[in-house]
Amino acid sequence: MTGDDLDPLIHVPTRLRIVATLAALPDGDTLSFTRLQDMIGLTPGNLIIHLRKLEDADYISSEKTRNGAVSITTVALTGHGRTALGTYTQALRDLLGGL
Amino acid sequence: MTYTPDTTAAGNGGNFEPQQAAALLDQATVQARRTFTPGPPLLWVYRAFFVLVAFGGYWLSVRGRQDPYSAPPGGLLAVIFALVAINIGWSTWALKRAGAGVSGPAQRKRQAWIGVMLVAWVAAYAVTLPLYHASASHPAWALYPASAPLMIVGLAGAATSAARRDWPTAGTTLAIAIIAAVAGFGGPAGAWLIMGIGLCAVCLGTAAFKVWQQHRSVVRP
Repeated sequence: MTGDDLDPLIHVPTRLRIVATLAALPDGDTLSFTRLQDMIGLTPGNLIIHLRKLEDADYISSEKTRNGAVSITTVALTGHGRTALGTYTQALRDLLGGL
Repeated sequence: MTYTPDTTAAGNGGNFEPQQAAALLDQATVQARRTFTPGPPLLWVYRAFFVLVAFGGYWLSVRGRQDPYSAPPGGLLAVIFALVAINIGWSTWALKRAGAGVSGPAQRKRQAWIGVMLVAWVAAYAVTLPLYHASASHPAWALYPASAPLMIVGLAGAATSAARRDWPTAGTTLAIAIIAAVAGFGGPAGAWLIMGIGLCAVCLGTAAFKVWQQHRSVVRP
């Protein structure tokens, strides 16, 4: 196994941090966009780009709700995303074990 | 190993080595676990100090006395109230911080659990009023506040935590209930000492478990 076998969608520093952060939440729980942004330390535009890529692959889901004049966006890791992170972690283990 | 971002790789994963990825995965996971943990290890260390001072202080004030059925001295009561206030304030802050921006079924279950625990605390101490009204005997007065409230709260916590499959919390609260039950056999003075030492050990054990839980690697077994 080589580094090329690692899921290219997750094997990017920023997206790896996003996925690892969301994976620390219990299954089914969601995190607000602003809290995730605080934790990751990205600009909103930059974070949106990475989230969109993950959402296109069905690794995360996002939902926009309106509370009066305020709109809140929440994101969560999907079951598919959790499995992908598990596979990625196992691949890392295999790679590091072989080094 | 701490991951330091390489600006050439950041964002696109250009030269992102597996070792760097493993370090970053662990680093991000530890940070997220710390952020989402409602009971941080340091708070449990404080609780260990708090129970040792509160229960141990009361034991020091009644040990060796022929009539140990009195209220604690005013100075000790003031210290206990101050420590309780700090515990409530710190716990509330930690809960709010851990739950900020988080929503979903686990969050709702946690809020319901907090509600059950508040009811258990109130119910455990509310029983003292009927006891007083019924002119309960001195031994009952001395033993009830030392062991019964935490036995009730511990059992309620263990049952509700087990229902939501939160096994670490179920273990901690069950240990509290067992210590409270054992303390009941320690007599009117000894019960306070058993509670102080036993609860201190449980709190320190929980703090150590939380540290391990937060820092265990997801990549390296």
